[in-house]
Amino acid sequence: MKRRTFLKSLAATGVATSLTGTGALTREARARKKIDFGEVKSVRVDVLSETSWFDNDNLKKHMLDYGGAMTNQYDIPWDWDNAGGYMALLTVTTLEGKERKILLDSGWNNDWVDYIYEMNNIPAMLKSGEIEFMVISHWHLDHYWGIESTLKHKPDITMYAPKTYYPEDMALLKGAHLTAKNKEGKDVHVCKNDVPHTGKLILCDPDGEKDGIYNPMPGVAIRNFDVPILLRVRGENVFYFNVKDKGIVTVTGCCHPGVLSLFSYARKNFEGYKPYGCYGGLHITLFETWDPKFDDIIKGVQAFEIQKLACNHCTGWIWAEKAAAAGIPVVKGTDKYKSYKRQSTVATASNAFLTNGDHIVF
Amino acid sequence: MNATAQTGQRFNYFFGLINLVAVFCIVWLLWYVFMNPNTVMKLYTPMYGFSLVVGFLAAVVLLNNVAGGYPFPEASTQRFGPVQRGIAMTLVAVLLMLFLVYIFFWGFIGKFGIAYFSPQSIIASGGQGAEIFNARENASTAIVYYFTAFLFSALFWSAGFGRWPWQNDNRAVTAWSRLFAVTFFSGIIYILLFHPHVCYLFYPAQDKAGVESWWAEFAGTGSAFFGLGLVLCVLFWIVASDLLWDGYPWKYLEKEGESTWGKGVVVFIVTFVLGVIVLYVLMQIMNYFWDEPFMGGQYTDGPDFRFIHAGEICGFFVLAAFILKHYFNNFPNLNSLWMGAILRTILAVAGGMLFYWFYYSPLATFFLGKVPGIAQPGDTSLVWTILFLSVIMVQADFFEGWPLKKKGMEQNSG
Repeated sequence: MKRRTFLKSLAATGVATSLTGTGALTREARARKKIDFGEVKSVRVDVLSETSWFDNDNLKKHMLDYGGAMTNQYDIPWDWDNAGGYMALLTVTTLEGKERKILLDSGWNNDWVDYIYEMNNIPAMLKSGEIEFMVISHWHLDHYWGIESTLKHKPDITMYAPKTYYPEDMALLKGAHLTAKNKEGKDVHVCKNDVPHTGKLILCDPDGEKDGIYNPMPGVAIRNFDVPILLRVRGENVFYFNVKDKGIVTVTGCCHPGVLSLFSYARKNFEGYKPYGCYGGLHITLFETWDPKFDDIIKGVQAFEIQKLACNHCTGWIWAEKAAAAGIPVVKGTDKYKSYKRQSTVATASNAFLTNGDHIVF
Repeated sequence: MNATAQTGQRFNYFFGLINLVAVFCIVWLLWYVFMNPNTVMKLYTPMYGFSLVVGFLAAVVLLNNVAGGYPFPEASTQRFGPVQRGIAMTLVAVLLMLFLVYIFFWGFIGKFGIAYFSPQSIIASGGQGAEIFNARENASTAIVYYFTAFLFSALFWSAGFGRWPWQNDNRAVTAWSRLFAVTFFSGIIYILLFHPHVCYLFYPAQDKAGVESWWAEFAGTGSAFFGLGLVLCVLFWIVASDLLWDGYPWKYLEKEGESTWGKGVVVFIVTFVLGVIVLYVLMQIMNYFWDEPFMGGQYTDGPDFRFIHAGEICGFFVLAAFILKHYFNNFPNLNSLWMGAILRTILAVAGGMLFYWFYYSPLATFFLGKVPGIAQPGDTSLVWTILFLSVIMVQADFFEGWPLKKKGMEQNSG
């Protein structure tokens, strides 16, 4: 028996069989066909809102009181006043010089999302079709529950979303008012949508439409990673941009699969891979706490030679500050966020986050 | 139970299977009430629930393996049947677990000595992330690691040194002496393998109290999952030799039926080497399926996950070994001890793989409320495995196998 066959049979009943029931987390080790998904001239990210909640302790208290990180997010009567949301506007400049816009995520609290959208002229861009399509990175409350704020301007918008939805996710998309019971047994409003989605819904999985990716325009790839995520969520869609003469840029909502795993995937699968930059929540020190494995990520980012790193949201301020101190090229934000009606309680003067109102061009 | 089993000539495997199913249901019920993130107590946060479960197992092992049942009667007597003894010892184990977690660690050590063992002390120290959820998780992490070190020391001492050097003393002396010895070595193991990790759970890191993880460079991670995985891989061999190999080959080093210094040293060295080998093999298998991990990788790409996953897999093997021993009478019982030992070990590995399949299949989502998928941050199969092991040990050691093993029944296949 060949070594490969022996090892495979040894582990077959364990590792492999488990995956058949859990989705494709595995990546086959054999040589892959490299993918060429085209190039763009540049990509600009406007941070509409990276403040998904304003007070970490308030959010954590709700998680703690209702069962911790693996509880169903729809079972927790979240504090509506603490809710914000994550949204970003992506502007791709094609090799021909044409600008094309994409909306990433739709936030959480409709009041906050509406406020942010008005500030950034998003309603007009949605109505006119200037924003061509949107991507729901994953089904977490702070990226998705504010969907009504988008749909009321463009109910038929084309949408990419992870295939790994739960019934509540789809009910909200089709129009629903959802509640959760508090400790006293009373129903508390958690999210609503009165504008059912009528457009094309592309449910993404790791197989992609071809070679594991979706390729909505040249130089832009959407890849679904089927990873388990806290609050009973699964799967995240991430963006890859191949910027001409620069390299691969990732743009993420939360980056639950891990930023280095994203670059590792690109290295193995994309033709002419060259690391360049990343933007988004990087899901590291989500609650501004520390763990030795976060030091691992700093060392790993250095090893992957990422040239331009702009982060916010679930990255954690302290990781961004430590990464910058370690010499990682962290792109600093401005004080513009202070002019917004609300700010996160964890924001610091270091401006280590690219935050609300900031932008970056790759 | 059939007549032949009652005469001690043949073990009733069907009854063993029924017993296993019953235990599985008890574990499910306990999980449903205490751990399931969608039901009643929701303690699986995960570290808080983990600390309680591993604390209970530590209490069981302390009473059984370290104290040798002291101060309870050695076995059921005319006065106390296995049920009364089992209930009493289980109750004491629960109280001991509550005492160790809430009074010893949270209220005593954490309050008057090492702050990170107590959520209240962490909160009182203030600073970034010092609120109840995170503080409780961090304190629980430290407690889990301490109990891990304790379980390793206790089970190793039991298999290696046994009653040495107190074999000629009474039960009380042996129990107390072993407790101090095991606790001493637990402290050393904890300090070397886990304390550096816990000191770096805070921002800024407590670098005057603990060094930066010394294993980070060669392990590819600063996480103590490295030590956890290694300890669990070694534990598998300790358990396998103790349960499945009937204590051999270590018994060859005994004198007059008692352990010796040499036996303890040999058990430590050999099981450590075997543990390193099985860790290496499991890492290679994971590399085959998931490619090489890299520093800073998350989910299955993370070296930290690979180490704890190796430990989780060995945890499944250990669970299967206990089941084979207690519910299937260490099948097969052959004339050749070595052939029997090899076959049992293979069965334990195969059984462990079955548990692996179960835990990562949709069945676990249905039974345990687990989110589908591998490497979910905050999910480790060890909690369910340890809960299962605890129930098995309670039945086997506290209840003396009741009702599967009735008094006077010899478990010996014909």
